[in-house]
Amino acid sequence: MHEYSIASQIWASVVKAAQERGGLRVLSVKLEIGPLNLIADEQLRFWITALAERDGSPGVRFEIAHPPAQVRCRACGEQSEPPVAPENADHFLPPVVACASCGSPDVAVLGGRELRVVSAEIEMGEEDVSD
Amino acid sequence: MRLFETTEQGSVEIEINEDLRARQEQLTQRNRELFQQRGIRAFDIAGSVGAGKTSLIASLVERLSKTHGVGVIAGDVATTHDAERVAGKGARKVLQINTGGMCHLDASLVHQALAQMPESGIDVLFIENVGNLICPSYFSLGTEARVVVVSASEGGHVIEKHPAMFQSAGLVVLNKVDIAEAVNVDLSQPVADLKKLRPGLPVVRTNCLAGEGIDDVLRALELG
Repeated sequence: MHEYSIASQIWASVVKAAQERGGLRVLSVKLEIGPLNLIADEQLRFWITALAERDGSPGVRFEIAHPPAQVRCRACGEQSEPPVAPENADHFLPPVVACASCGSPDVAVLGGRELRVVSAEIEMGEEDVSD
Repeated sequence: MRLFETTEQGSVEIEINEDLRARQEQLTQRNRELFQQRGIRAFDIAGSVGAGKTSLIASLVERLSKTHGVGVIAGDVATTHDAERVAGKGARKVLQINTGGMCHLDASLVHQALAQMPESGIDVLFIENVGNLICPSYFSLGTEARVVVVSASEGGHVIEKHPAMFQSAGLVVLNKVDIAEAVNVDLSQPVADLKKLRPGLPVVRTNCLAGEGIDDVLRALELG
């Protein structure tokens, strides 16, 4: 359910940027979401789509990149990518962040918590397209 | 409300590059600074529905209200039951946040609540998070520490199943220890799991309804 609050923040960010550029409608949104955020893609798409429909941008498309999780182990010193598949990082199976080398959960997270609105494709008035 | 008028004209890709994690961290930092300015020691009390968060807060308020100005922010999806329950224990201010469906508190909601409790004289603040052992784990409120309450009736493997929440904890309160045998739970299991996940993290065993272990919680939080 926390996807709704994340979706609201993402959509507000997109709307603000689109309005500043004089956009008429949002066609697509590009996101970068690390697998350690506990965000289920399908729920996020559902909520952003609903918010977009409410605000006059039906059928918005998505491109969601998942940069890999990266940890540095305090026990063995290794830097590794813990095996956390984004599709598993949901409410029912929260990701266990542990060193891929020795299995210790005593790690510093270096990557995987990204939550970034990268860009959006927006429909413009004809005279604004060249901007 | 329509923010966009639809037309069939050309499109353009705009760069936004907004880091929402960084924005959340800014809001968290704003709370930290506010707590510091007001001289408030704030604690995020998190845990499942029924773990005993409200009972713990009620017991802590009862002990502390003689020597401290205690405030409570109670976050719930709906109702004011929790706020009413701790109101009679001597808290200087009790404020209810109804999240209206949101499964966690976030820094922004807490900031709004703080704006509604400008009273001076509060030096300890307990923020009761929404009953949930998963979603709040990634939303820091800017408090001094998160106290995760887990009860014997949640089963022996509750910590192993919810590592993210316990990775964010500063103290774990193992509550309802008095009924562990009745619900056939060996409490050495969650303690061993926690030791593996977070070596050195303090654990306090309580029976909050009877007030047992509350002094240990106060000592662990350096409030007693």
